Amino acid sequence: MESLNFTLLLDPLGLFFISVILLISLPSAVYSLGYLKGEYSSAKKALGWFLLVLFIASMTLVVSVSNALVFLIAWELMSLVSYFLVVFDTEHEKSIQAGTIYIVMTHLGSAFLMAALMIMYKYAHTFDFFAIKNACLLMPAQVKNIVFLLFLIGFGTKAGIVPLHVWLPYAHPQAPSHISSIMSGVMIKTAIYGLIRFVIFLLGVNSWWWGGLILVLALITCLVGVIYALMDRDLKRLLAYSSVENIGIILLGVGLSMLFIAKDMPYLAIFSLIAGLYHLVNHAIFKGLLFLCAGSVYKACGTRDIEKLGGLIKKMPQTAVYFLLGAMAISALPPLNGFVSEWLTLQAFFLGAFKLTGGLKLFLGICASLLALTGGLAAACFVKAFGIVFLALPRSNYASQAKEVSLSMRVGMFFLASLTVVFGLAATFIVGWLAKVAAAATGIDISRMSFALNNLTLSLKSVKNVYLSSPLLALILAGLGFTVFIVYRLLSKEKTLVDNTWDCGYYKIGPRNEYTSTAFSKPFRIAFSFFLLPYRKTQKIRESFYHVKSFAYETYTTPVFKKYIYKPLLTWVLGSARLMRRLQPGSIHLYLTYIFLALLLLIIFMPKF
Amino acid sequence: MIKISLIILQLLFFIGVAPLLSGLITKLKNNLRMRRGMSILQPYYNLIKLFAKGQVVSGTTSWIFKITPVVVISSALAAALLVPVFIFSTPLHFTGDFLALIFIFSLGRFFLALAALDTGSAFGGMGSSREMFISSLVEPALCLTVFSIFLQFGSTDISVFKSSTPISVSSIIGAIALFLVAIAETSRIPVDNQETHLELTMIHEAMVLEYSGGALALIELAAHIKQMIWFLLIAQIIFPVQAVDLSSPGGLFFWTGWQIARVLLIAGAVSLVEVSVAKMRLFRAIDFLGFVFVLGIIASICAILRV
Amino acid sequence: MQFTILFAVLISTYLMVIAKRMPALIRAFRYQSFCLFLATFLMAIKQSEPDLYAVAALLFILKVIFIPQLLYRTVKKIKAKEDLGLFINPQLSLLWALGFTYLSWEFSTNFISQGNEVKAVMLTIAFFVVLAGIFLMVSRMTALAQIIGLLAMENGIFLLAAAVTGGMPFFVEIAIFFDVLVSVLIMGFFVYRINKFFTHIDVNKLSRLRG
Repeated sequence: MESLNFTLLLDPLGLFFISVILLISLPSAVYSLGYLKGEYSSAKKALGWFLLVLFIASMTLVVSVSNALVFLIAWELMSLVSYFLVVFDTEHEKSIQAGTIYIVMTHLGSAFLMAALMIMYKYAHTFDFFAIKNACLLMPAQVKNIVFLLFLIGFGTKAGIVPLHVWLPYAHPQAPSHISSIMSGVMIKTAIYGLIRFVIFLLGVNSWWWGGLILVLALITCLVGVIYALMDRDLKRLLAYSSVENIGIILLGVGLSMLFIAKDMPYLAIFSLIAGLYHLVNHAIFKGLLFLCAGSVYKACGTRDIEKLGGLIKKMPQTAVYFLLGAMAISALPPLNGFVSEWLTLQAFFLGAFKLTGGLKLFLGICASLLALTGGLAAACFVKAFGIVFLALPRSNYASQAKEVSLSMRVGMFFLASLTVVFGLAATFIVGWLAKVAAAATGIDISRMSFALNNLTLSLKSVKNVYLSSPLLALILAGLGFTVFIVYRLLSKEKTLVDNTWDCGYYKIGPRNEYTSTAFSKPFRIAFSFFLLPYRKTQKIRESFYHVKSFAYETYTTPVFKKYIYKPLLTWVLGSARLMRRLQPGSIHLYLTYIFLALLLLIIFMPKF
Repeated sequence: MIKISLIILQLLFFIGVAPLLSGLITKLKNNLRMRRGMSILQPYYNLIKLFAKGQVVSGTTSWIFKITPVVVISSALAAALLVPVFIFSTPLHFTGDFLALIFIFSLGRFFLALAALDTGSAFGGMGSSREMFISSLVEPALCLTVFSIFLQFGSTDISVFKSSTPISVSSIIGAIALFLVAIAETSRIPVDNQETHLELTMIHEAMVLEYSGGALALIELAAHIKQMIWFLLIAQIIFPVQAVDLSSPGGLFFWTGWQIARVLLIAGAVSLVEVSVAKMRLFRAIDFLGFVFVLGIIASICAILRV
Repeated sequence: MQFTILFAVLISTYLMVIAKRMPALIRAFRYQSFCLFLATFLMAIKQSEPDLYAVAALLFILKVIFIPQLLYRTVKKIKAKEDLGLFINPQLSLLWALGFTYLSWEFSTNFISQGNEVKAVMLTIAFFVVLAGIFLMVSRMTALAQIIGLLAMENGIFLLAAAVTGGMPFFVEIAIFFDVLVSVLIMGFFVYRINKFFTHIDVNKLSRLRG
């Protein structure tokens, strides 16, 4: 056995991921100062801090080691520490359940990773990255395909690719909010790092269907994630599902890049990887921010159920602003950061389709349009999340007694909220940096490519002029807004009256009249009923035949993946386990007999071996 | 300096002319229904009347409700700056392309939907939910249409949408798809109905139900501008013009005439559709937009085959 | 001489297999250990190595005197029935044992080239003792029988080492002795505890503990 090699690999790719990790972890840590106050005993708080530091350290290790075995150890460490963080609220039954699902799924993924690394080891005879990289050149294509699929499943479990995403909506909401923020913002991105590092950097893409497969999976992930997010009424679970969606968008960039590498189109490969990485850091920022805001709402109100909230914009004005910025960014509204990366991803699809030939053109076009659908649904989802939680009147006592959260929490949120603006406006610089990262990951020489930086405008030199200038756009929007506001103020001299909302003649309009989250998502539930399989339960309580005293109405959606994939799988596993249990009756003699029989068989068949 | 004056000119053009287009369509519709109808200038009277009036704001609302009209109108105007009107290139064409335009529209819509929820009435929620529903289904169809156009011109920059080649099949199909998208986006029959205030059917109107006075005027103006932008875009795609010499008065005159004529043609088509079709129920919109999506696919295939 | 001792080991192992009662089993184990001691002692004289003397002495003290004595005491102390609780009766056990002997012979002739009969027989018997040890563990109910089975296996492995390499290194030998001693002590203690809790030492009934 070779000795473990602890040298670090700090190439631009690793450094990029380290900076993403720190960028999200530090504000979350600051936030946790206020968040943990009054929730836990001091010993538990100390434990929380210890786990947090260990978690950040293990993630940093994952993205910076240069040895596959050390990578695996760091990966496992990260998974285990995050498991303990998921079950941090041990008094909740749900946390334990979420933790169990998480640990099972994550180890399933690790098993695939191990298998892939073993195959790599077989060819390289060492775990060192560069030796593996060289050895992979000699690997037969068939083996490469298998290794790729193993990596895809292994990292896909961590990233939450549908249908391996089941753990995500359980685990992320159950962790304390600053941890959810780090898990959703950063931890699932380490899987993207793994895909880039192991598949693009080490293994080398050799057939275009790899990228195609990732594209298809990523699209399914996007749509499933966002549709479930739209349906959900638990604020943090909604965000978790939205993470599934965004991982899909990131993977679209990565998969597209792999497609172009295989098709030998270096410029587009770099460009799509830039788009993917840009969305990665953007998602880290706004999802981190949104989870922190959701944590503030939870801390202030004591519930995560959207239907019980409302009107928080008046009670928690600052949190509301931060959440609004996060929601705008994730809905890709200009000039915030999500807009830039989604624009880049769409452009990558378009440009790719322009350069490719035949059916792939149409394929990329349809991919782009489904990405647009995802964007539209995400906007609807966050209109719902912000509108129901923060606007109108409080729907319950939880919300009406809320107070703005403490300073350290606001500082954490403020930092990330300002980053959504900064990363939107500084697009050209960031694209320049990401180009270096993408070059390091793909090994493509970018010195002769141009991702132009003139006048803060992104212009793509590979085709006819396509431009985007987010700062200019922001300037125009702000200037127009300001002018309109001034002109409007000058023109309208009449007084503004404050009155009630129009109530159609109903005598008392209150929170009960407001639209609910379930009602908001109803059209979507009907439009996607082929997938969501909604059903309802109604119950009438009558005093007499003519008078219905109360009417209960509940609506549900069928958890398709749980019901049709995981349930049967689990039943099958348990069934076979029950069969296996007959081998294990508890009799020591029988166990000894097994050993004995094995020994006898070995002796008898020894000459055959 | 010329650029800045061009920008201002373009903004004033949109603010000044966009309501006229709405008035024209209403007039045309009424005439088609054998009615006299109101004056073409009626939208201007409405706007002036609204500006002169005071506002009534619900006590339930927050600052979101107050800033929304400003956001909506400035996003509409920002989008207007990306569309070529006077010359082939827009003054700010390097700010963004067709895709950016779509995103800018969604900014205004996002705030309008939030403001509707802010009022706390069921109407607002209903409108906001439906609007987001329709718009999210519009997105893929729109994106595919843009894609088919992109394949022809090799760029999503709107000022590039002019070809020296004769008009292609994919342009026509793409423009039809875009026309249907525009119908959905400008809340016209058969997807929505601007003229009704019946709570069961209204979408856009339900969102702005709580607005009054100047705020409502801004939102209506934004709607007019948005409609104008859509028409100009469709015109740009379906009737691409060969480069004309703009320095000569003749060329300029031809260009202006052509620009007006093609927008009028589209306005005519819209009013014809509005008169001849009944409004669909909400969930039929899925089929409608699915049809647009298929049109987009056909347009893309045509573009791939270069016909 | 060597052959005689080896056959004595074989016979004593047969005795263990057919033993029906605890004292008989312990006695047979004592005979087996004594034979091993003799073999080691003879080898020590022949090679005049101090290490081997020490090993022989340890073998004698531990396996011939101390451990059997300990087992006797445990049997007395827990006042359990002296029956071993046979799954397979003595006659059938003997038949099995004969079968094992043949199997071991077949097995060892795979390794040892022809003409080296002493080594072949030694390997056969060593294997057989290991097999018989496991067989005892499998086919006898009481926990004490399992301990003795384990000890018999250990004897077999000792023989095996002697047959294959001419004895293990001294320190390994010593270590194994202490291992065995400690395990016997611990298991004896456990047997005592099991008896105290369940009022019997029938391992078969432990299956009730299964979840």
